[in-house]
Formats: sequence, structure tokens, C-alpha cells
Amino acid sequence: MKLHLRVWRQASRQSEGSFVTYEADGLTPNMSFLEMLDVVNDRLTKEGQEPIAFEHDCREGICGSCAMAINGEPHGPNAGATTCQVYLRSFQDGQTLTVEPWRAKAFPVIKDLVADRSAFDRIIQSGGFVSVGTGQATDANAIPIGKGIAEKAFDAAHCIGCGACVAACRNSSAMLFVAAKVSHLGLLPQGQTERKQRVQKMVAAMDAEGFGNCSNQYACEAVCPKQISVEMIARMNRDYASAVVDQI
Amino acid sequence: MNKEILRMTQSSIGRKWIVAVTGVLMIGFVVVHMTGNLQMFAGTPDKINGYAHLLKSYPLVLWSFRLGLLATAALHIWGTISLARENRVAKPVGYAVAGRKSRLQVTLTSVTMVISGSILLGFIIFHLLHFTAQMVDRSYASMETVVGGVTMPDVYRMVVTGFSKPWISLFYVVAMALLFSHLRHGAASVWQTFGLRDRNSAQLIEMGSWILAAVLFFGFSSIPLAVLFGVLKL
Repeated sequence: MKLHLRVWRQASRQSEGSFVTYEADGLTPNMSFLEMLDVVNDRLTKEGQEPIAFEHDCREGICGSCAMAINGEPHGPNAGATTCQVYLRSFQDGQTLTVEPWRAKAFPVIKDLVADRSAFDRIIQSGGFVSVGTGQATDANAIPIGKGIAEKAFDAAHCIGCGACVAACRNSSAMLFVAAKVSHLGLLPQGQTERKQRVQKMVAAMDAEGFGNCSNQYACEAVCPKQISVEMIARMNRDYASAVVDQI
Repeated sequence: MNKEILRMTQSSIGRKWIVAVTGVLMIGFVVVHMTGNLQMFAGTPDKINGYAHLLKSYPLVLWSFRLGLLATAALHIWGTISLARENRVAKPVGYAVAGRKSRLQVTLTSVTMVISGSILLGFIIFHLLHFTAQMVDRSYASMETVVGGVTMPDVYRMVVTGFSKPWISLFYVVAMALLFSHLRHGAASVWQTFGLRDRNSAQLIEMGSWILAAVLFFGFSSIPLAVLFGVLKL
């Protein structure tokens, strides 16, 4: 199997990038997209060229590192899959694929396909935590949690912070990410202590990072590899308003 | 208290709430407006003329309402412009290859909200100059009728005279098509902003906003079209 690649190459944060064309040959349909990039990088390294920089870690769809857009779609063509879980059988032999880093002002490109997503870390630092009593560890199931709440919180907790929601959004809004974190903690009894401050602080941090605003088109939900529902955003909108009303 | 409200009006979600609340108020207004307009079809000009006269006989109520509506529209426009400007800054570079519209949920009505809204603003200004300030056709001011012994402006005659000009009717119908487009996305979006949309209600909300927008389009457009095709005449 063979693919024509147009890959975004950018030496550093400051430098201007451009597309470079590569022929990827000797592929099999069962290779993952990242394995295909490995093959290309192997060749580039042997030829003494700089390999394509891209982020990867677990390669099993749970770490959220493999952030890149394939033909303008974050994580490629398949619903509910990260780039590492996209296999070449999803493409046609001889197809041209354009590979780009996440595009958002809040995610500046560091090198090639790697964008700086530390804005997400700063949002988490602002309120994505719960207070716990230190000392002896309590029994894991000491606090009873209803099945419905547990399921809903878990749906939100699936977020791996990959940033595809921001990458897909026309406005580079981080609402789905922030809503997933706010809802995950805000639904559980352990998260009630900071619930009101959390939503306000995390939204303020999100705004300060230069993400855009949600215009309710739900591209985020469509590309989310964990298929997190925009219900979480509705929940956050409600939570935010009630937190403000509480302070009046 | 004031500090909290101020902070909310500056935040992304706070401004979305402002846009949604003002949007709902304006939807309420257009629904009432359309219902009032449909009295054109009552069979007698006296019906709509009497209604218009009734509205104008309480100047204090009328002007409070008008100023309230003006403030509502101003807040809606301020909110959307400030949000849309940030959105443009937040995405300085797009993708070289556009993803499939089906995958990224791109709909024509949702990506043209600023355009449809701006043209609607232009239409509203024209509409106010046309029938309220009566500056488009000066002869409206002298159109009067007597209903039950009371002399009042002949609204029916103004409407029929106005819409007899095809370009005016066409402009009104096109504007109502844009209202359809704007509300198709806007009316559905307010549920999300208010936090009332979930998986189960999503389809109902999308369908409901489509129906609301369509009813408003046909309700408003029926009047210029009825005049053009001779159903409503002097």
C-alpha cells in the first residue's frame, strides 16, 4: 500500500512552517497511522533528514498525545478514535493525505505536528481538583454514589485532554474539554466542596488562555475520540449561571 | 453583588447567556408581532386598524416597550459582536484542507449567523423607517380611516400600498428567509446555553426550532405575498 503525504513542517515556535510532500511506500492496511509515520521517519533518519516530529505515548487511545489533523479532521476520519487507533485500511491505496498540527491560537505549534497544549494544564490547575482529607486512605467505596450519577461522571471522566474539540471548533473553543472536567468533578459527592468556585475559576482560566467561544455547532462532540456529549457543555452553562446567582 | 454581575458579563458563558436571554425576548416579540400582523386577513381593515390604534393609545406603555426592545437588541448585538471578534482571533489559521462538512457538523444556517443577523438589522432599520417613521413613502402619514366614529391611521391601506411595490415585497420576503435561517440555529442554541438540552431532547429542540422559524417565515411572508398576488387589496 502507498500513500502521498503532505505534512506540515515547522522547525520551531518562531519559524514559519510549510507543507512538505512525502511518499510513504511499502505500507500494509493493518498499520496504524502512527506506524506509517514511523516508517516515513525511519527512512528520513537513514537519509540523514530531520524526522517528522509528532507526539505519541500509549498508542492505545487513552493518553491523548497523538494530536494531529488528517485532511482537516482532528484524529482523522473515524468517529470515536484517536490518531493512533486509525488504521491505514481507512484510506485508499494511493490517496493523498494532508497532515497538520492542531490549529488554535491557544495551542501554538512548537514543531511540525506538535502543538503546545499546556493551556489545558493551566485550566486544570485553576480548579480541576477535589479537596481530600489526608491521613489514612479511606475505603474506596466508603461514599455511596448512585449508579446514574456514577455513569454520568464517568462519561465526562473519559476526556483524555487531547484537544481535538478545540482543534475542530471553528472558534477554537475549549468548552467541551472544560465542561467535561467541570462535570466529572461536579457530579460526584467528592467534588461538591469546590463545585461553585471550580466552574467559575476554570471558565475564567479558559477565557484567559485565548480560546474562542462556543457557537453551538458541536463539531467538538463529533470529533471527540471519547465521544463526550455536548450535554456536558449545557451542564456547565447551567452550573456557571447558578454559581453566579448564588453570589448575588 | 455588582462585581459578580460585571465579571459574568465579561466571561464567555456570561455573554452567551446575555445573547440567549435577549434572543428569547426578541423571539417572543416577533411571535406577538406576527400574530398581530395576521389580522390583515380578518376580512375587514377595521380589525388591524383598531389593533394598531389600541397599541398607540397608551403612549407610556408603548414607549417603555419600544425602549426595552431597543435595549434588548443592543445587548444582543453587543454580545454577539464581542464573542464573534474573539472567535476570529482564537482561530488565526485554519486547516489547509477542509474536513468533511458532515463530520464537522457544519450547517449553512449556523455558520452564517453574523451575516444573517447583520442583514436583519439592516432590514429592521428599513422596516422602522418604512412603517413606523413613514419616511420611505411620505403619503402614509395622511392615510386615515374612521372606525366606530374614531379617526385613526389606516394601517391596512399603508401595508397594501407598501407591498404593492414588488421590490419592497421581495426585500421583506428575503429578510424573512434570513430570519428563518437565524432562528433555525438561534432558537435551538438557547436551550443549550440555558443548560436545558440533552441527548434525549436534542432532536425535539432541533425540530421545534425549525418549525418555529418556518411558522414565522410563512406567517410574516404571507402578507407581502398576499398583496402581490391580489389576495389583499384596497
